[in-house]
Amino acid sequence: MARTSRFTARVDIVVFSACVLLSLLAMVLPANLREPVAGALRRSLVAPLIRLQQGSERWRAAYLASDRIELRRDTLALAAARVPTLDAENERLRKLLGFGSKMQWGFIPAEALQGRGRAEDFTVTLSAGSRAGVSEKSLVVAPEGVVGVVQTVDPTISLAILFAHPDFRVSAMSADGSAFGIVQPHVTTSSTTQEPAFLRSERYLLEMRGVPFRATLKPGTIVFSSGLGGVYPKGIPVGIVLAEIRTAEAWARTYLLRPAVNPAELTSVMILTPKRAAAGLVNIWSDVGAIDSATKSIVAAGDSLARQSATAEAAARRAAIDSAARIYADSARRDSLTRGDSVQRGGAAPVTDSVARARVRRDSVAAARIRRQRRDSLAAARGDSTRRDTTAGVRP
Amino acid sequence: MNWGATVRTILLCAILILLHYTLRPLLAWRASPDFLIIALLLVSVRVRPGFAAVFGLIIGLASDSLALSSFGAGALAMTLIGFGWSRLKAVFFADHVLLNGFFLFLGKWAYEVVMHVAERRMHGAELLMQILVWSSLSAAVTAVAGVLALMALRPVLETRGT
Repeated sequence: MARTSRFTARVDIVVFSACVLLSLLAMVLPANLREPVAGALRRSLVAPLIRLQQGSERWRAAYLASDRIELRRDTLALAAARVPTLDAENERLRKLLGFGSKMQWGFIPAEALQGRGRAEDFTVTLSAGSRAGVSEKSLVVAPEGVVGVVQTVDPTISLAILFAHPDFRVSAMSADGSAFGIVQPHVTTSSTTQEPAFLRSERYLLEMRGVPFRATLKPGTIVFSSGLGGVYPKGIPVGIVLAEIRTAEAWARTYLLRPAVNPAELTSVMILTPKRAAAGLVNIWSDVGAIDSATKSIVAAGDSLARQSATAEAAARRAAIDSAARIYADSARRDSLTRGDSVQRGGAAPVTDSVARARVRRDSVAAARIRRQRRDSLAAARGDSTRRDTTAGVRP
Repeated sequence: MNWGATVRTILLCAILILLHYTLRPLLAWRASPDFLIIALLLVSVRVRPGFAAVFGLIIGLASDSLALSSFGAGALAMTLIGFGWSRLKAVFFADHVLLNGFFLFLGKWAYEVVMHVAERRMHGAELLMQILVWSSLSAAVTAVAGVLALMALRPVLETRGT
């Protein structure tokens, strides 16, 4: 038993030594002999294990790729979510560029940095200051209309009050110039106003006060600065009429306006230099010019039609008078002839009457034609006047 | 060792070898567990030292076949470790899990040392850093994985009596 054990121990030592020798031999094998041995192992014993390893590495690569793909998809989704914002910003900047090209000179472009503090509800910080040429009381406008007035100027920035500031006032008028008033912030206190609750919740709305009772503004009418008072030049859009509100002032109307500029979307503005403001801005907002020219052309067309109908009426009247005069002259001559002929010969009277009757018929046909022309021109004028009413609701 | 235990050992050894070529590439850690070492331990404590040396030589050559620069180094290390574990098993009764973990750590670390010294790819501070830090870390991870595997497989394992 002990001999067997010693024998197996010796066998183990021999086998171990052989294994160590083989390992050392493998280590010292030259490359040209090592590669066939390793290749034979790779193609036989290790081949299935290599395939397993390749499969695992492919799984890992797929997992990492899926991570990358998911990351890319999230990035694309994020970019896609930003597209509407970028589109809006792009459109706004394009509008601003077009606005700048219309204005041509006398403006300072600036970014509106809106604070979110408690005391910054009605002010906006502009990224241009005195170094850029901004001065106090400079007007701040956007492509949509009035934004506010610069109140404080620093070398690099300036602070402007928005139209919602309690101190904001601007003299305004409707596009056709039929109504004038003072636009100011809509300060809501339930004791002075009786408008519905949903209107009271609008803190950025404006009021147009002091509008004469004879002037009625329909909802949707655009209100522009009138240029009266000298601060704001004429023709800058201020707001759009929402509704008439009842106030304690019994001698004038007050209208609620939606501001032309939405403060939440205010990102880029233009600060007008005093010289530019003094030069006027009537042709800058083309809609004002378009509405004015449309109004003028409609009025001119109405005037020309009225003139034409008056001329036609005068001609008809003149023709009627002429025909009456001729009838009177003929009848007088016929009477005298009748009286004279009745003594000498009595058969000439019927011939004279038929001639006179034919002349009267011709005159009445001419008068009827003139009346028809006048009726047509009046109908056309009525149609144009109807069109003129509809232009009041035109929006820029 | 009876036939049932032999079959179970072969199956577990095959599973560990499969894990070495499937789980390790998936994890792709720098200090990853070496399931071949765990399989060698599992076999070595159940067979005679000579067979353990042969088994170490085979799996060492198999792993060396994919690394031509160190061909034979892994075989030498596995042979030494397999024989050593089998002899130690004959001397000590190592059925304790923590002792198995210690043996695993020691075996893996020795394997790494033999491998790196034999392949002569790294020298000086780099070799020292590799042996002291990364080899130790890899040995620790292998020991933890081996202990977990042995604890999970304890019901189906049957150690050879001395």
